[in-house]
Amino acid sequence: MDKMILNLIHRPEMVPEYAEKITGRGKAEDIGRKSLLTESLDIFKTQQRLAHENGLKTTIQMTYSSLFNEEAVRLAKEHHKQYGDEIALTLLGLPCKEFREKYKTKDFCIWMFSLEDKKTIVRDVFEKFHECFGFYPESTGSYFMDAELINYIKETYPTVKCAVATCWEEGPKAYHTCNNSWYTFLDGGPWAPWIPSKANSHAPAANAAEDSGIVAIPHLSRDLIACYDGNGSNFGTHPQNVLRGMIYRDGEYPYLYNLIDQFRYQAKFNNGYSYNMMFVGPGWMNKMGRWEAPYELLYKAYSDGCAYYGQLKKEGKLADMTMSEFADYYRMKKNYTEPECALWRDILYGSKKQVFWYCDPYIRACVNMDEGGAVVDLRPYVAKIDWPVGIGTKHVQNASYPFLIQEKYRAGYFTHYAGEGTVRSAKMVHNGEQVDLCLCRTKAHFTQEGKCRILTLDPVEIEFSDLTVKLQTVITFEEGSSRIRFDRRIIEMSDPNAEVSIDEYMVACYGTTEYPEDMTPLTLELAKDDVKTKLAFAYKCREQSMDGADYTACILPPIDTRVSLTCQGREKTGYFKEGYAFSPMFTLGYTGKLKNGEVFTTWLNLEKAD
Amino acid sequence: MAQSGKGRLNYRCPSCFMRDLDIDMFYDKEKDEFYCIRCQYTGNEKDVLEKNEMARFRYRDMCKRYELDDFEKFDD
Repeated sequence: MDKMILNLIHRPEMVPEYAEKITGRGKAEDIGRKSLLTESLDIFKTQQRLAHENGLKTTIQMTYSSLFNEEAVRLAKEHHKQYGDEIALTLLGLPCKEFREKYKTKDFCIWMFSLEDKKTIVRDVFEKFHECFGFYPESTGSYFMDAELINYIKETYPTVKCAVATCWEEGPKAYHTCNNSWYTFLDGGPWAPWIPSKANSHAPAANAAEDSGIVAIPHLSRDLIACYDGNGSNFGTHPQNVLRGMIYRDGEYPYLYNLIDQFRYQAKFNNGYSYNMMFVGPGWMNKMGRWEAPYELLYKAYSDGCAYYGQLKKEGKLADMTMSEFADYYRMKKNYTEPECALWRDILYGSKKQVFWYCDPYIRACVNMDEGGAVVDLRPYVAKIDWPVGIGTKHVQNASYPFLIQEKYRAGYFTHYAGEGTVRSAKMVHNGEQVDLCLCRTKAHFTQEGKCRILTLDPVEIEFSDLTVKLQTVITFEEGSSRIRFDRRIIEMSDPNAEVSIDEYMVACYGTTEYPEDMTPLTLELAKDDVKTKLAFAYKCREQSMDGADYTACILPPIDTRVSLTCQGREKTGYFKEGYAFSPMFTLGYTGKLKNGEVFTTWLNLEKAD
Repeated sequence: MAQSGKGRLNYRCPSCFMRDLDIDMFYDKEKDEFYCIRCQYTGNEKDVLEKNEMARFRYRDMCKRYELDDFEKFDD
């Protein structure tokens, strides 16, 4: 197992998010207030000191406002010289007197500006940086970096090779947590570093032609169960976020260390490689405290976080790198198609729930072992969807990568009385009784054979009134294939001569939020040899099937995606189901027969529609 | 009646927190109570702290420390 790589990043944010509203209680807004600027710089100095005391180097991401502050510039130069810290440039922290006077706006999220403004701001801050330091930065970032922004930066400032480019699963859930006032809709991206494609920054590049030229890192390393389920901002490698989640008692927070360690454990599934990123904005360490956490606890948490990383480094288990060093390391360590895998367990709620996340340039998927190995989240990265964001586009704020399956936004297995939710599972049928594997809780074991990452699930028992079936599921992700293979094998039956039916199915739709989209552009297809049947989605609840079908598919023009199921199994029959207004989904599936020892195999295939 | 402000610490509404909503509460010094403008919760500091503790009910492993070997062990 290699050492876990750590990127520790600090930003001298002269007007920290949150801090102005908190320190300025009862005062009219004044972002040039001297006390605010002084406190902000003090926090940056404290963070730097804590890192250095623990033997860690940092990436100093200068904010636009800090480039106007001589002390901040001087500190960055000193720390670069003394500790080897990288001097980089963030596109966070734009708000300051100079920015507001020049751009006449309170917008501060770079991806939400018009493309023209993005370019103007980028040139402005990069040139200001050059003026201060005499060189252009190698690293940059924001909470999110859209493809057009990255492409422009790389084209104009080719020195840039690394960027913070997304907050994992920060979308509608974060919006709701902030009482619908925090507009970071960034769901659907990778949770670990990746090389963004030129077409869509969420989707990793599949080859050199698609390579945007940078290595992207996520903003924080986030809990792959807790963040997906709840408020993402409570469950990451951000000590004060852990306090925000109230995940501590008596000033202790073992969860933070468990989280770091579970990321270290991921080396087992990624050819020895694992990664962490910690990036705490100064607003989280202001002297007034943060919500119910007093400053002393905020300070202690950050100090303890740095100390734990420092301890791991001393024990030879961690290597701290600057962002640009990491970009070089990543390109040496990984190739384009090598997936990122995470076999992740619940470390907070005591449920023993286990999921598996897979991400490559074609697919991002989540398999939920608590639901028998059902796929509960699916993003068609193969489509590299053209999705410009910002003012002047169709998506001013919504930068999320669309899903086909999302069990939280589209119900999953359980629905209320009617309709269906999105999930990819299977049902076993015998004498009129039906059992969905979503109700068979199990655990998975990971193996790698060549280019295949294989999840072998512990067998589950399915009890019918007159028959018990022991069934094993094996799920295979073949690198670069843009498909997922599901093998269902009956390994034991109470009546060895019995036969059961299987219904392999996928309920899906498309979207980025909880709310339904227009399904009428979709087309469903079934085909065998030269026979092909098509159905335009019209919410009419229609179904069709075909014995021995070669495939069953749906074409989704709004997300430029074609999804299909193919099958190898006895007495296979392909089918599709059109949804209806109360259940705006489509279903693709195959039915067939299984006896003891037999296997029924299906593939879920993703393609770019055009 | 004077306007409300913030208390010694900036408490969130415990009732909203339990439904994944982070809402600052405001403090009515005449009644010595915090109140939520998003829902109907009101309470003094002692009550807020008690309810915050209650909100932790779901974190059954909050105080547990996992070792590296534990992440694929489920039989405990």
